[in-house]
Amino acid sequence: MQSVFVNPELCIGCRQCEIACAVEHSTSQDPAAAFLERPVPRKRVHVEPGPTAATAFPNRCRHCDPAPCQQVCPTGAITRDDGLGIVVVDAGRCIGCAMCAVVCPFAVITFHPLAGGADDRVAVAVKCDGCRARVERGEIPACAESCKVGALVFGDVNDLVRADRLRASGVALAEAGADSARSTAGPVSTWRALEQATRDLAHQAPQGGAR
Amino acid sequence: MTANGRRPSRLTINADAQAMIDVARAEGIETVWDRLAAQEPQCGYCALGLSCRNCAMGPCRIDPFGEGPQKGVCGADADVIVARNLGRTIAAGSSSHSDHGRDILEVFRATARGETTGYRIADEAKLSRLAGELGITTEGRGTLEIAEAVADALYEDYGSRKESLALTGRAPEARRQLWEQLHITPRGIDREPVEMLHRTHMGVDNDYVNILLHGLRTSLADGWGGSMIATELSDIMFGTPTPVVSEVNLGVLEFDQVNIAMHGHNPLLSDVVVSAAADPELLELARSHGATGINVVGLCCTGNEMMMRRGVPIAGNHLMQELVMMTGALEAMVVDYQCIMPSVTDEAKCYHTQVISTSDKAKFPGATHISFDPARGIEVARQIVRLAVDVYPNRNPDRVRIPVDPVRMMAGFSVETILGALGGTPKPLVDAIASGDIRGAVAVVGCNNPKTPQDYGHVELTRRLIEHDILVLVTGCAAVANGKAGQMLPESAALAGPGLRAVCESLGIPPVLHMGSCVDNSRILVLAGALADALGVDIDQLPLAGAAPEWYSEKAVAIGAYVVASGVTTVLGVQPPIFGSPHVVELLAGGLDGVVGARFAVEPDPVQAALLIRRHIEAKRRGLGLPAFDVDAEPVGVAV
Repeated sequence: MQSVFVNPELCIGCRQCEIACAVEHSTSQDPAAAFLERPVPRKRVHVEPGPTAATAFPNRCRHCDPAPCQQVCPTGAITRDDGLGIVVVDAGRCIGCAMCAVVCPFAVITFHPLAGGADDRVAVAVKCDGCRARVERGEIPACAESCKVGALVFGDVNDLVRADRLRASGVALAEAGADSARSTAGPVSTWRALEQATRDLAHQAPQGGAR
Repeated sequence: MTANGRRPSRLTINADAQAMIDVARAEGIETVWDRLAAQEPQCGYCALGLSCRNCAMGPCRIDPFGEGPQKGVCGADADVIVARNLGRTIAAGSSSHSDHGRDILEVFRATARGETTGYRIADEAKLSRLAGELGITTEGRGTLEIAEAVADALYEDYGSRKESLALTGRAPEARRQLWEQLHITPRGIDREPVEMLHRTHMGVDNDYVNILLHGLRTSLADGWGGSMIATELSDIMFGTPTPVVSEVNLGVLEFDQVNIAMHGHNPLLSDVVVSAAADPELLELARSHGATGINVVGLCCTGNEMMMRRGVPIAGNHLMQELVMMTGALEAMVVDYQCIMPSVTDEAKCYHTQVISTSDKAKFPGATHISFDPARGIEVARQIVRLAVDVYPNRNPDRVRIPVDPVRMMAGFSVETILGALGGTPKPLVDAIASGDIRGAVAVVGCNNPKTPQDYGHVELTRRLIEHDILVLVTGCAAVANGKAGQMLPESAALAGPGLRAVCESLGIPPVLHMGSCVDNSRILVLAGALADALGVDIDQLPLAGAAPEWYSEKAVAIGAYVVASGVTTVLGVQPPIFGSPHVVELLAGGLDGVVGARFAVEPDPVQAALLIRRHIEAKRRGLGLPAFDVDAEPVGVAV
């Protein structure tokens, strides 16, 4: 099964994936022109702040099977493409009831007018379509292509899980004092530690006001 | 978490700010804290200094985890990209101070030639001293003639035809020789930032060490050049500051007067506005609108400039510029340049407040622009005050909320004043340091940054230093923060340790000395040089340190760099975007100590920063053979 896998510990919050996603889903596919289009092309991956300072999570549709959104869609607008293993929305059949968003475990379905839909003034469900066109051309999804730190990677899910497992082992070994191949991870951990220390001051400062 | 979800007490330690954040939320007005929350997560490439958009083969970014791209399209690695970015930041900061200095120099020269109104030579003695320093004959020449010759000599420092800036002569001989050996003697105030832009163009300086050394030279052109000229000429035109007690925080606004906040940096305009506000005709106009007077207050560094010379009260520092409007009692915010948030015109729309921009190089859509013209200085100032007075009838009394009573603070400690209080020489201060009554001195300077609770770093660090008998010198937003906290009065000596307290009480001075605005960090350089000369050592041997607990601006980076290049180790409370290059970090936080005798450290927690600084000061004392003790060895957090 092919998937875009998330390594959240590697996300440094640059949001390049959001831009690449919106451009991929534009009419022009041109980064310089996409933002002038109306309706504005929308991102389907959402980078939100993580639980600690300087961490982030690039959140997108996980293409569940069975998919709760598909199960509750009253118009049958949400279907599954078994060949690519993705859940897709037919904008023409969407009535914008938002039931799919209500049940989505990841809160990654948003509502916007879309170019090329039945009526580009009416908001319909917008979510990751697995970059179907790109994958069919033999390319990887736009978000994974734009990610240079490996926070979003595309491939066979079991391969990616194994890679993550090996990385976790490396971290565990490094923490145990063994040499880590990822020695350059130091800059990121220092940056995160300092940002967290800065954030923690909010809880350390006098709460009653100085005067 | 959004800023709206955070209690105001988590965002600032000040009661006035907390009350106004509550007002902003109740009225749905966006502030800096909301915008910070909306920006999160902030880009890690940029935070680590690993993004480069200097050319159109890019933009490029380096994967800090080491698996993705390790070089930009041109081949620049993390070291080069981080150094180039830092170099450009220093160039921008140095240029900002120096351009401020140039504006003063232009008006100074025009005044010497009789081409201005509202300006004069206020301190002829200082003019004579400066002329002497510059090798300009004063005998048989009139004040204005001397002033013009001084102006022409200082203009030369801006160019590129000199080997060193005139005022670097104030640095100790050993320091100047070190700069010569390192090839970092600043040669021209404009030249060094221009050369930095050249060096950081693709394919010029590809050696990160060489770029960083030029970064130090670029910063020295600010500290011992542009900033120092700004300070010297401001003193000559507007008066050298002497101790003055005034008031600070939002409580300085008056319920029944026309309130005008002067915001920004340059004293050129604010000084004449203070004069215009006393104009009987304008006061009568204010009374005819039902106001009892015209109340001019300061914000940010303009506030420091006006308080130390004219005793004008200060409404607040950087993070108060939006909140001051939430009082509903501000008729006009008059701005020139630097640190003025573009958002102020949006907030002004929610009230009757007029934003008046005055510099042709700093325009604000939504503001009324009244172009500053020194030839018509006092006339322009009257026009500005009249506009504010005319707005007063639009004030809605039901929306006026002035949340606190003001706090008193003492300002105005120029080097001349400090040496004067000591009897004309630094010797008494040197003796107090030698005996250990005063362990050392620390410059706590810099901005506010919404990433840290407003003023907590400034106030907490300063208090812990004075408690341990360390004299603290403050400028800029750090000065305003300490004023608000009540740490800047002669009676604040009670907060200090016994040694410092006794010295302060005998001289009648606070333990935290207000040395001015951010360009006035040049005064701290001059004082450090004088102390070093008095002891016959170089600056880096002195028990001194710098700290910028809440810095945010490019100017602050230039200041930090020239303070370190001058030999004073500096602790930053907010991390700079350099951590993407372990080599650059190692150089700035370690190796530099062996080059210029000072280095940078990063420590967000002011409690830990105070410990780090105290250890440093005791080590320097030991180096001078002065009595020193071991500061208890607690862990120092994530200092680098």
